[in-house]
Amino acid sequence: MRLFFSAMLERYLQALSVEDFGLEEPSATRERLKDRFPRGATRRMTQLGMLIGAALDELDPRAEDAVVYASSYAETRALESYLDSFPAASPTLFQTSIHPSAVQQALITRQHPVSEFFPITGRAHLVAHAVQAALLSPVSRVLLCGGEERGTWLLEQKVASERTYAFALALGSEPTGAIARVGLAAVAADWPAQRFMLTEFCDALRARQPVDLVAAPGLRFSLAWL
Amino acid sequence: MPLAPPVRVEAAGCITALGDARATHAALLRGEVALRPLPVLGADGGEAVPLALAPGRGFDETAPPNWFPFVRELMATLPGEGWGSARRPVFVTSSNFGVGSLYAYRRHGDAAHLAFGTPSTCVDWLAGALGWGANVTTVSHACVSAHLGLLLATRALHAGFAERALVFSFDFISPFVSGGFHALKILNSGFPSPYADRPTGSIGLGDGAAYAVLTAEQGDFAIEAQSLYNEMHHFTSNRADGVGFATCLEPLRQATQGRRLWLKGHGTGTLEAGRLESTALRDAFPEAPLVGWKGSLGHTLGSCGLVELAIACEAIRTGSAPGTIGGANPSFQSTVALDPLDTRATDGVVCASNAFGGAHAAFLLGHA
Repeated sequence: MRLFFSAMLERYLQALSVEDFGLEEPSATRERLKDRFPRGATRRMTQLGMLIGAALDELDPRAEDAVVYASSYAETRALESYLDSFPAASPTLFQTSIHPSAVQQALITRQHPVSEFFPITGRAHLVAHAVQAALLSPVSRVLLCGGEERGTWLLEQKVASERTYAFALALGSEPTGAIARVGLAAVAADWPAQRFMLTEFCDALRARQPVDLVAAPGLRFSLAWL
Repeated sequence: MPLAPPVRVEAAGCITALGDARATHAALLRGEVALRPLPVLGADGGEAVPLALAPGRGFDETAPPNWFPFVRELMATLPGEGWGSARRPVFVTSSNFGVGSLYAYRRHGDAAHLAFGTPSTCVDWLAGALGWGANVTTVSHACVSAHLGLLLATRALHAGFAERALVFSFDFISPFVSGGFHALKILNSGFPSPYADRPTGSIGLGDGAAYAVLTAEQGDFAIEAQSLYNEMHHFTSNRADGVGFATCLEPLRQATQGRRLWLKGHGTGTLEAGRLESTALRDAFPEAPLVGWKGSLGHTLGSCGLVELAIACEAIRTGSAPGTIGGANPSFQSTVALDPLDTRATDGVVCASNAFGGAHAAFLLGHA
């Protein structure tokens, strides 16, 4: 066991895909992305499933990859529709409303198995904990993806995302060809942790802004562009 | 996926419809069935289906959630303090979180339910109520959620990010989830008979919450190996050749050669998954008897891996493991054990769980 307070993990960002469409409606996303998926597949996919699928596709997933998925609200539209289907509950909406559904839609459409798949949720420290899950994985390449879809009646109650977006990063262990370095270090408990939301992470990725902050208690997260 | 190094279980506990881990284990040994026929939609009625609620808990959600007293009772037995701090992270796992509150809000319009309805609002509220800090990682991968929490906690310990780690899981059922499984037709008026070769499959659903404290060097039990695999073949079915089950079990098979094992399967009571799972377990561990407990407790969903770990610890501690409650002959495999097992002559137990999307998870638990 390593000494506490000396823990440090690092990976290299080898490829990046960011899809940020703000207020786009699912029908528009479906029309825009339908050619990216097998014929007819998007009829059964959620907006977030299509966006995550498109983002992951850019990274050419491999069976030996690990996948970490971060989302605060995940399948908001399917959840809303499922709740509205009662008392005749919809079996299709039930299964697509679960948290990991977006990644499963994307990979099932491609019949693409993976060994590790960690769907993570949260808010203030979600990014730090998702990055930790990614950097703790022993496999050679980790795909870290995330996103949200804009809600309707749940958004009116402030329990859904206002924005629709998705991103995916390929994190390898070698610096060759890397565009950024992602690090996570254990720091003392008295370093104050800051909120760092998934939208802020997406914005940093899109604008290629560096990040260096204590993003959860005891966890210093850094993103340095090369 | 390389196997994670072993980790110790310093403490484990659970609460089910039959009580705490000790009471649940004892009741299972007596063959008690906690499942009862209840209307699938609670006060809104519907077909009577097998549900196992925590003793005295109503099925229709309240605000704050009526399951919290059970969580508080369970967590009163948790040793240690400072959970959620920098070096004592918490890994919360669930498939339901407080989604029953979201159902209650949509049905009845009481905005008080919204404070508990999403995973993050629910966990933030729980963390505050239980006195945790903010170092809480939340994992939701349907019915393998608890296994993922155990693996992440193990890795955090071994990487030096934690001196102790708490894995906590909770799933309290609601019309949201019972309505969904009923719509899928696997929750029906029949009671589950895990691994039984019969014409119709049935599952039951149950309340469950559990914890495990993981450390590097303390505790009577050890999780010696952990494995994951995701088929990504179909949302609600597995590949017909069973390769998903076999792929997940293979690293454990290699790690346990020559050891005397017993097996705690997922065993919900569905037919095809039960046949595939029991076949894969027999192929990987031909000499090991297989038991499953969801025929009594119901499926505790994302928490089943941790609930059943706590019961397995009791089984190892007492030398007696409950048999397959609700099971019946003919079973899919002759290795299915309907009666309790004497575990004193074994070296450990392989505990397996499965989930939507063809997700598979398993770990090896034994004496430290």
